[in-house]
Order: sequence, then C-alpha cells, then structure tokens
Amino acid sequence: MNYPVWEPFMIGGGLVIGIIAILHVFVSHFAVGGGLFLPLAERKAYRENNPALLEYVKSHSKFFVLVVLVFGAVSGVGIWWSIGLVNPEATATLIHVFVWGWAIEWVFFIVEIAAAFIYYYGWDRLDPKTHLRVGWIYFGAAWASLLVINGILTFMLTPGRWLTAQTFASAYFNPGMLPSLVVRTAVCIALAGVYALITSAAVRDAALRSEVVAYVAKWLLLGTLIIPFAGIWYISTLPSMAREISMGGAPAVTIFAGLSIFFSAVVMAFTYFGPYQRPRDFNLVFAFLIAILALSTTGVTEWVREAVRKPYIIYDYMYANSFRLADLGHIREQGVLKSARWVRQHEVDPHALERSGEEVFRVQCASCHTVYGYNSIRFAVKGWSWAMIDYQLGHLDSLKGFMPAFVGTDPERQALGAWLASLNPVPASISMEPEASTSKSQSSDVTGEGASQP
Amino acid sequence: MNPVIPGPVPVPLPAPPWLLESLLVFTFILHLLAMNFLLGGVIILSVSSYLGRRDSRHRELTRRVSRALPPVTAFTITLGVAPLLFLQLVYGQLFYTSSDLMAWYWLAVVFLVLLGYYGIYWYQIQHDELGPRVAWVILVTAILFILVAFIFTQNMMAMLHPQDFYRLFVNGRVGTILGDVTPLNIARMAHFVVAAVALAGLGIALLSWRWRGESPELADWGRRYGVRWFMVGTLVQFLVGLWFLFSLPVGIRQALVGEKLAVGLLVLGILLALLALLTAPKSLLASSVAILGTVSAMAVWRHMVRLAYLQPYFDPHSLPVQGQWAVFLIFVVLLLAGIATVGWMLYVFYRHSATRRAST
Repeated sequence: MNYPVWEPFMIGGGLVIGIIAILHVFVSHFAVGGGLFLPLAERKAYRENNPALLEYVKSHSKFFVLVVLVFGAVSGVGIWWSIGLVNPEATATLIHVFVWGWAIEWVFFIVEIAAAFIYYYGWDRLDPKTHLRVGWIYFGAAWASLLVINGILTFMLTPGRWLTAQTFASAYFNPGMLPSLVVRTAVCIALAGVYALITSAAVRDAALRSEVVAYVAKWLLLGTLIIPFAGIWYISTLPSMAREISMGGAPAVTIFAGLSIFFSAVVMAFTYFGPYQRPRDFNLVFAFLIAILALSTTGVTEWVREAVRKPYIIYDYMYANSFRLADLGHIREQGVLKSARWVRQHEVDPHALERSGEEVFRVQCASCHTVYGYNSIRFAVKGWSWAMIDYQLGHLDSLKGFMPAFVGTDPERQALGAWLASLNPVPASISMEPEASTSKSQSSDVTGEGASQP
Repeated sequence: MNPVIPGPVPVPLPAPPWLLESLLVFTFILHLLAMNFLLGGVIILSVSSYLGRRDSRHRELTRRVSRALPPVTAFTITLGVAPLLFLQLVYGQLFYTSSDLMAWYWLAVVFLVLLGYYGIYWYQIQHDELGPRVAWVILVTAILFILVAFIFTQNMMAMLHPQDFYRLFVNGRVGTILGDVTPLNIARMAHFVVAAVALAGLGIALLSWRWRGESPELADWGRRYGVRWFMVGTLVQFLVGLWFLFSLPVGIRQALVGEKLAVGLLVLGILLALLALLTAPKSLLASSVAILGTVSAMAVWRHMVRLAYLQPYFDPHSLPVQGQWAVFLIFVVLLLAGIATVGWMLYVFYRHSATRRAST
C-alpha cells in the first residue's frame, strides 16, 4: 500500500521468493554443515594416516566451493532482492529492527569467504595444522552467520516481547529462536551428508568409496534423528493458530506438513538401508535420488513454515499484504484507495466499478494472489455469485483463518466483489435471479442511492 | 504536484543518519575496489584473451590473472551487501520504489551475476582446454557484468528522481519500468566502467609484480601492460568525468559548486588521479595510494550528488532515531576481530607460500 505492488505474471511474488529461498536454504545449510564436515573428515584422514581419504576431502572441497561460494552467496542475495521487491514494507521494518544483526552477519560472511578460499587454495600451501585451523574458522563463521539470521527469521513468526518492548534484544531473542537454531543446525549436519553422498558416490576406488559412503551416511542419519525432537520443541513455541493451520486447519498446509514428515522418513530409511548398510552397492543415481528427496523435504518444510505465518508477515504486527495492524482503524475509516499511495483512483468510481475493484485487489490481495496463475483468485471465486463473494469478503478472517480481514469501506468491498465476479462471467442461461437482484442493490449502494449493506 | 514518496516505517533508525551514511560510503568504497578489479578485469581479459590466440604472453597473463577472479567476485558481491543494507535503511522509501518499478530488471541482476560468476569459474578452470573459445567465454561474462552495471545505474539514478515516480507508475506496468536511458545515465555508467578498467589495469600491474621471482620477463611485461591500461583509462576518465559533470542538471551542479567540501573533494580527486598517473610507471605503490584517495574522494562526492538531488524531497535527518548502541558495539568488536582473523589467515597463507617458494 505504501509501495507500488509488483505482480509477477502468473507466478506471483510469493512464489518468486519461494523458488529462490528453497534453493538457497538447500545450499546455505550445506554451507554450514559442509563446513563442519570438511575439517572433521580432514582430521580423520590425518589421524588414520589415510591419504586416499584426504584426496577425497580435497576433491569435495572443490565441489563445496563451487556450490556454496557461488550459488549459496548469490541466491542469498537473491532472497534479499526478492523480498525487497515483493514485500518492501516488511523488509524495511526488518532492516530497521535488525540492521546491526545483518551488519554482524556480514562480518561473518567476509570471514567465511576468506576462510573458504584460503582453505581451498591452501591444500598444498599450508601445513596440516594451520589448514585445519582455517577449516575451523570457516565453520565458526558459517555457523555464527546462521546464529544471526535464524533469530531474524523466527522473529517474523514469533516476535514475542518485541511487540511491546521494541528493542533489538527483545526482537532477536524471540521464543522460536533457540529451537529453530537446533533444528537448522541438525538440518546442516544432514545436508552435509546428502552432498557428501554425491561426491563420495563418484569416488572411483571401490574400497575408498565404500568407506567414505558409510562415514557420510552417519552424518545424514544423525541430522535426521535430531530434527524431529527439535522440531517438536520448535512447534511448541508457535502461536496456536499457526499450529492449527498445519494440523488440519488448512488442508493444503496439513498435506504439505505431512509430506515433510513423509519425505524425511523416506530419506532416513533410504539412507539407513542404502549407503549405511550397503555402502558397496551405493552409486551416483542413488545419491541423486536422496538429494532430490532431501530437496523436496526442504521445499515442503519451508513452504509450511511460510504458510503457518499467514495471515501475517510479521506475526501480530503486519499482515501478509503489508498492512500494519496499528493502521487498520485509519484505513477502514478513510478507505483503502485513499490510504494507498500507488493507485490510479483514490475513490471508487461507480461508473467503472470493476476497475476500482481491480485497484483494491492490487493493493490488498496481490501480495498473495495472482489473477490467473499461482494461487489464482479467478479460480478461488469460480462459481461464486457477487453476493457470495461479498459475503466472503465481509468475513474473510473468520471464514479463512489464514487470510486477513478485508480492510476498506463498503463501496470498496463491493467494487472488489464486482471485479472478482467479472473474472468468471456466468452464462446468461444459468444466471440466477436472486443474485442478480442482490447485485443490483449492491450496485446502487456504491452510487449512494440504495440502502446500506445487509 | 508533490512527488509521491512512501512513508517511513514507524520504527526509529537504530543510529543517527550521519553514522549510517558514513558506513554506507565507507563500505561502498570497499565494494568499489573489488568491483573495479572484477568489472575492469573481465574487460581487459576479454581483449587479452583475444590477443592471446597469437601471443603467448597474453595467454600466460590471462591464465594467471584468471586465478584471482573467483575470490574477487566473491568479495565484490559480499562487500556490496553492506552499502546496499545501509542504503535501504536510510533511503529505503526511494530505493524500494524505484526498484519495484523496474522489478524484473532489478531481479535479473541476481541471475546475471550468477551466470557471470560461473562464467568466471569456467574461464579459470577450463582456461587451457577451451582453446580459442576462451575469449568468447570471458567476453560473454564481461557483457553480463556490464549489463549489471547498466541496471544498477538505471536504478541508482531512478531513486534520485522521486518526482517522476508517480508519472512512471501511471503510464507503465509496475516491474517493467526501466526508466529513460538518458545521456546522463550513460555518462554515469561510462564513468564507472572506465574507472573500473583503469583500476583493474593497476591491479594487473600489481599482480604481475608478484611473479617477478619465478618469471621476471612476464612480470615486467605484465606490469607495463597493466600500467598502460591504467594510464590510458585514467586519461579517458578525465574526459568521461567532464562529460558526466556537465551532463548533471545545472541546479545540481550549482548546488555542488556552492559547497566548499564538494569542490574540495573534486579537486582533490583530480589531483590525486594526476599524481597516480605520473607515479604509475615508477612506483606502483605510490600510484595505488594516490588512486585509493581518488576513489574515496569520488565516493564521498557521489554521496553529495545524491544529497543534492534529494534535497528538495527527502531529508534523512528528519527520521526519528533510537540508537541500538550495545549491539552496534558488538558489531564494531566483531568487525575488528573479523579483520584480524582474515589478516591472520592471509598472513599464514602468504608466509607458507613464501616459505614453499624459498625451499624449491
């Protein structure tokens, strides 16, 4: 409302963020977990005096650098880019609250990148002790960057004391911070295993392959063992409505939450019966299968985490459409078109009701809905009469708990209803009289000639 | 008609604007140094890779310089995060609006950088295997980064014109409004690209100096080659700089001429550039220090141009402030610790390299 609304054609802003974020999460957690894997595997090779294992760790570090430093870093910037475009108001709020947190994370990034390059280029230049030390510095900085960003992410779902205290500490040390940190650290360990399965499956020497595969499978199993326990702890900190949404309140979210558990269980079972028990038979196809399953787990879990925050983008503070709760009274009184800065009409035009409705849609609904594509509003109201649409708009928050209430004047709501009804024109042959008459009375409301809304 | 500018968020700034702006300019200078070497480097390497088809010295030079590019790319991106963070904090009301209007182009930056980054790795890892095609790989990479520079220029200029926002919004579709590509924008972009080529030339000369032990001939040739790029680039930059200066609207130029600090910075920047030019053939160190002064002076000057543009519409000093000093202190301590850690790692890396060279 405060900013122009960008409507990415067909895919919608949410999906733009989602696609980039899921891929980033899948790589960035590897950036941390892989950072722990490298020095530990290197130390193991030194202790066992195993040059073949050391060669494997070397080749894995090249893969690590290519994936993490390039895709991880750029996709991280990509999330920032996309949230600024899709939700500038929320992004600006987060940056005002957490700028020093991000500045601290930036310091860790600098150390992380320098350490990663020196570790990678230092294999033949540094003595083992110093090389290992650089590896540990990398991991320390990488985990510290997770420590910082994790608190900012959980703030959005569980802002806790910040809502009244408004301080950095109250925002950062929010209820979800600690359990989420444990979950994410476990995910890092598991993903270190997932990626190492790919590089270990490509090892040519059968004996070494078998040894490394069995070793890295343990990483995956350890991570997936911790996740459910930490996950239950994390879920216990969620607002009750967020829990309800994921446990039956919203069928799609519940299905995805179920899929998250299912995929995790499949990854665990495949890893246990596959690389852990039969490392000799393990191959690259199997490794990619596990990676795809792990990516699917990441995808559905992140989707659920985002979905349970609905209808908010910052819980109890700002709705997903960037409306602050504190501003709602003012917007209701003044009207959404008058309050919005980036509209072509500041008042409902009774002679172009649908155009006014489209403006209201853009300001109030387009952050989650597209017209024809992802989460299509046209599909959502298919078969609904204008009267039905108007009733739904009047009770959005109670009928659909994951949606914010409509905010605006009666004429604005009716204009939005008119536009929504126009998206699925009803053939004249099945047009129904009672609805037509309701529409007529609503139309006259807008012009100020009719009785007030029922 | 008053310009339509989004309202500020009702959360106070966590530090006074002067501190945030100082950090914005300081971190921008750091970003510039890495970015110049990257952007100018890929342009120079495009030329050298083409010449390297026939000249083995060019081939060897590109092979060696290509090894420096991946870390430089990583640092360009990461060092760019901080200034953009402080920009969003202080000037978010303008920046988010201009970005949203050109959202598709702005988002494309991420993908262009990603492709360019992999292009750099491809160029480095497959340098010899690619044969003559290596010139195409680096040329395409250079074009990708120049496109990034172009989109950045458009957005950084668009955010300085809030008076145009609403007109652009009404007449276009949000996300597709790149804005006019004015001669001023082209001059500004050229100013950055030429500076990058000059500085990357100096960077290549400095890098060549490190090869003097193992390949003295190549090192000497590389130093002269890099210095030539630097000198020609800097001379061209004087012209481009004048073009940029006289493309600025009269009002902005007059406002800057009225500011002693702005005039002083401009004069200082030019004098230091002249000094860098004169010292380059004899002392790379003196030349580098002088040009670092020019880059710093010009970065502050650029910020003053921004303030002059926005003065009628936006005053960051009017925003409410509530300092988060404890966490700021943690940031400063960690920054110092981080610099020390990176310093230690670089020290052991080069010490071990030197030891290794001495023993072989």
